[in-house]
Parts: sequence; C-alpha cells; structure tokens
Amino acid sequence: MNLFKRRKNLGESRLTTLLWQFTGSAILNLVIFLLLAVYLSPLAYIVVNTVKTPKQLSDSSAPLYPAINPEYKYNGIDYPVLSVPTANGVKEWAIITKRRTYAEFIDPQNPSAGLIHWDGNWYGLKKVYRPSLSWEGFANLRDNLSYFYSRTLNTLMIALISEIGVLLSSIAVAYGFSRFRIPGGKWLFLLLISTILIPDIITLIPTYMTYLKLIKWLNTTSVPLPFSVPWGWVPLIAPYFFSSAAFVFLLRQNFKSIPRDLDEAAMLDGAGPLRILTSVILPQSIPVVATVALLHFFYIWNELRNASLYINLSPNARPPISFLSSVSDALGISPDAAAAVLLVSAVPVVVLFLFQRFFMQDMVVTGLEK
Amino acid sequence: MFEFFSRATAPPKPKIIHPNAGLRRREGIIGFLFISPWLLGYVLLKLIPILTALWYSLTNFKMLEPDNIQFIGLANYLYFLTDLTAWYSLAGSLGYFLTTVPVELLAALALAAVFTSARLRGKNILRPLIFMPSIFSIGLIMSVALGLINPQNGWLNLLIMQPLGLPPVAPGASSHYFLLALLSIWSIGPGFLIMVGAMQGIPKELHEAARVDGAGPLTRLLKITLPIISPAIFFSLVINLTSAFGGSMLLDRSYIFSESLSPMEAYIASTMFSNLNVGYASALTWVMFSVTMTITIIIFRTAQRWVYFPEDGGHESI
Repeated sequence: MNLFKRRKNLGESRLTTLLWQFTGSAILNLVIFLLLAVYLSPLAYIVVNTVKTPKQLSDSSAPLYPAINPEYKYNGIDYPVLSVPTANGVKEWAIITKRRTYAEFIDPQNPSAGLIHWDGNWYGLKKVYRPSLSWEGFANLRDNLSYFYSRTLNTLMIALISEIGVLLSSIAVAYGFSRFRIPGGKWLFLLLISTILIPDIITLIPTYMTYLKLIKWLNTTSVPLPFSVPWGWVPLIAPYFFSSAAFVFLLRQNFKSIPRDLDEAAMLDGAGPLRILTSVILPQSIPVVATVALLHFFYIWNELRNASLYINLSPNARPPISFLSSVSDALGISPDAAAAVLLVSAVPVVVLFLFQRFFMQDMVVTGLEK
Repeated sequence: MFEFFSRATAPPKPKIIHPNAGLRRREGIIGFLFISPWLLGYVLLKLIPILTALWYSLTNFKMLEPDNIQFIGLANYLYFLTDLTAWYSLAGSLGYFLTTVPVELLAALALAAVFTSARLRGKNILRPLIFMPSIFSIGLIMSVALGLINPQNGWLNLLIMQPLGLPPVAPGASSHYFLLALLSIWSIGPGFLIMVGAMQGIPKELHEAARVDGAGPLTRLLKITLPIISPAIFFSLVINLTSAFGGSMLLDRSYIFSESLSPMEAYIASTMFSNLNVGYASALTWVMFSVTMTITIIIFRTAQRWVYFPEDGGHESI
C-alpha cells in the first residue's frame, strides 16, 4: 500500500498526462476509423450486388444480403416459396394457385399431402429468402470474356498511346516554362492555367463538327495510316499530344525546385537543352513523372464521356472501338453481371494505385521552396 | 504560377540592357520550341473552336441542313433571354458549383488537418483508402449512388430512413443532391493530398515559435497554417471549380453529357444532339463560357488578397 502510494505520488503528473494523451489519441483514431468506414460503406453495395441473383436484384422486397428464394417444382413448373401464417404457426409453402380471396399451397416438406387451401389475400405474403451466394454475375462475365477482353485491350491501347503523347508533350512544355526566359512567359503560363478552367462543352461543338466533316471528306471509317486506326480513336488520343495544362503545372512546380547549378554544370560540360532535360532534370523528377503517368492512366481508364460520344463517329467500326468504361451500358447484360463488370474494371486501377510508392508524396503545391 | 501575382506588388525592376542579348534571344527561341506543343494545341483545340462556336452562335446552323447556314445576328442570344429552361439550367449549374466546391474544400481541409496530427496511427493505410474512391470510374459511382437512393430497396431507405422513422427518399431532386454529395465526397482525393502535402511542408519552428509566444491552436491555424497553405487551397479551388463546370482535371468525374449533373451542360448537349440546333447550342456555350470566365477572373483577382505568394527563393523566375 505504502509502496503503491509512493509510486503514484512520484509519477502522478506524468501518468495523468500520458493517460490523457492516450485517451485523446484513442478517441481521435476511433473517430477517423468510423468516418472512414462510413466513407467507404457505399462500396459494399456494389460488392454485395455482384453475388446476388438477377431475380433478387429485381425483387424490391428482397433482403439486403445475398440470398435466394427457394422454389418448389410441381408438375414441371417452379413455384416460389412464401412464408404463410397459419393456425399452426408460420409455414414455408410454395404457392400454386393465386386467387383474390384464397390461395392454394403445397408443403415442400410434405408434398404428398397435396394442395393446401388457405383463405386470405396472398398478395401480402413475403417470399422466403435464404442466405446464399450466387456467382452468376461472374459466370456471365466469364461467358462474355472475349467481349470484355477486346474492350480492355482497346482501353489499354488508347491509354498507352495517349500516355506517351501526354508525357512527352507535357514534360517538354513544363521544361520550357521552368527553365527558359520566354518573352511574355508569365502571361503565357497564366493563359495555360486558364485553359484548365474552360469547360469541355465550350469547345465540344466545333470540335465534333470538325471530326464529322473530316470523316465525310475522307469518306472512310479508319484513318489513312499504314496501320488501321478507327476514326473514333483520333479525338480520344490526338488532344493529349498537345500536353495537358494540369500536368504541365505539376511538372513545372517540380522542375523549378531542382537547383539550377546542376543545369549550369551540365551546360559547362557541353550539354544542350535536350541533354540537360534527359540527364539532369528527368532523373530527378521520376516521382512526379510517375504521378502524372498514373493520373493519366486512371483518367483514360475511367474516361466515359468522350469515348461514348465519338464511338458513333465511325459506326461500321463499332465493335472494336468500344471501351471498357461503357462496357456496362453496351453489354446489355443483367444487373448482377454489370455490377461484376464494374467491380472487375476497378480492380487493376486499385491494384496499380496501392502498389506504387510515388503517388502519395508528390502532389505538393506550396509557395514554400523545398 | 504564383510569381505572377507577386509581381503586382513588387517594385518595378530597373531595365538593364543585357550585354548578351543574342544569347537571351536564343534562349527565348529554344523555350518557345519547347512550349510549342502547348501553343499549337491551344490554338487548334481551344482558340479556334471557341471562336468557331462564336461564329456558329450567330447563325441558324442546324445539323440536318449544313448547306443552309445564314447569318442571323444576335437572334440566338435574344432567344436565350426568353428561354426559361436555359436560365433554370444556368442557375442549376451555379448551384451545383456552390454546393460541391465548399463541401470538397472543407472536407479536404479538415481531413488534412487531422492527418498532420502526430497522434493519428496507420497513416500509410488511411491515405490510400481515402484517395481510393477518387480513382473509381464514374460508372461505378453512379451505379452505387443510384442503388443507394432507389425508392423501393435503396440502402439509404432501408438502413437509415426506415429505422429512424423518417420519410423515404423520393427520386428526383433529393436523389440529385445525394448524388452530388457522394460525388463531391468521393472526389476529395487530389485536394486532400495537395493539402496534406502543403501542411507537412510547414516548418515546425513556425508553430513552436508561435506557441512560445502564447498563440493557441486556433490562432496558429488561422495565422500560420492557413496563410501558408493558401496556394494549395487556391489550387484545389481551381480543380473543384473545373469539375463543377463539367471540365475534368486530375479526375474524370464527367458523366455522359445527356446525364451530366451540371444542368446547363445537359441542356446544351440536348440542344446539340437531340434538337440538332448547332447555332443555339453554340450561343448557350458562349453564355456558359462568359459565366465561367467571370467567376475565374473574380477568383484570380481576389487571389492576390488571400493567397500567400512568397518571394521567389533563390532561383530566377521565368
């Protein structure tokens, strides 16, 4: 007792502070954890839907968890099992005859008893649901795999080609803005930033009309190139070869934080501007370049608007140029398969996103120099 | 970009005639070569289309009669003044902007503030999880959101409204707002990362010094944190502004035009692709363009007052 008291006296202030700190941290972490759970909870909806049967998805009285309504085969026809209140408690019977004032059931446990007459309106009765996972959606997806595969390939091709374009052009432009004294450079850069704010729809109409005219004029569904490129791809790829303002901004911020002394040292060694870019600037900017590349990939993978708009440009080439993003619309499949498609299409992005090191660190936009 | 603003207050630099003017000219030319992809793209993909849209807006261009285009002056704009649907759509788009932008900004700011606390555990796991919804496709988000607000078996009704005895969510206006909320909360990724990056960049000594001088947490937030991260706030404001107007930057949050959440955009798209009235649709885009540019100019102008632009440290600005 004495010992305990002494120890308490000695460490009281430290102990209470520690205790307070611990409680504070615990509460903070708990609150954040709960918030995160709420934040991600809507995702459960799509995950659960992928393992539901199409029947359950279309039944508004079905439970939220994946379940099936058992059926009973009678004279070669499947009848749904309902829960029926009777004098002997609630029974699970299959409904055979539906009438306004009565219904006839059969007991799946005891079919030899024959039809059971039940008075009342069957309409208010609930279907019986038993928890069960259905893999129909994924099976549907597997059966349409060739369809899914060609779309994935198209999306990847578009992503790859435009990725090359957007990286080359944005790096060049960012380098130009960060390292050269261009007459009116500040104004040009402000102009670049302001283009971010021009909504797509402003330029859409003339751009769309131009592509229409070009196709009519060339009178062909694929671009006259040595290799076949459908027309619908051009509006989706070409703009990225002229750099992207947002990426230029991110890259330039980073290029400017690289000390100029390095350039000058390279310059004294006889390196030209291009050489400085490739051997001084870029090796130091791998994280931000990777960030930009990932952002662009996510963007193209999810892009839906332009893809759906320009698919119609070359109607003959429709099957090969549809994209993953529109897969759920175009597949015309059951809702459970659509859920599976959406979920599966999100997987590569999430995997890519979780297994990289750079993305999280390099979106720094402060005025303070590093 | 921020040096631009600081120039307005800086004293004018004395003009020096450089002895190596030829070298500078060469530097300028090389610089122009490097930025030429953007310049070319700007002219081809922005300037020419915007001016072409202006020309279309002054004609009676119908998509089905491309050979019968006549100059009709301001008739399209005069029609706009009497077109109530267009006004409602414009108001709806502005409402969309005013709803989503503050939500996104404040949520990102609050989360970032919590994230800089040393007490929070597992940041390496939390950060990707917070960002993750931002990389989901709009198709997935729409499907989730529409499923949640389904009047029959939507989760929102079954799990929240019914147990609490509240009236069920009806489709229509309220579901629209639910979509907006989900979209803006699930799109805070970039804004959040930018703000966390900015807050982590604040030197610890600043906070220590202020604490020694007796500044409380609120004062420190208002006088140190917010001013220093103001460029990051400004940048996320620009991002959110863009997506609110139906543009897309860093994230793709644009659904197909006909079902766009921005009513003005949907109205323009239906005028263009359903009514095939290119002339009037172009006039509407110019109205929208003027509105967005006005907002942009206001934000950029006020930025000089509330965004902290430090002196260019060490290296020369362009």
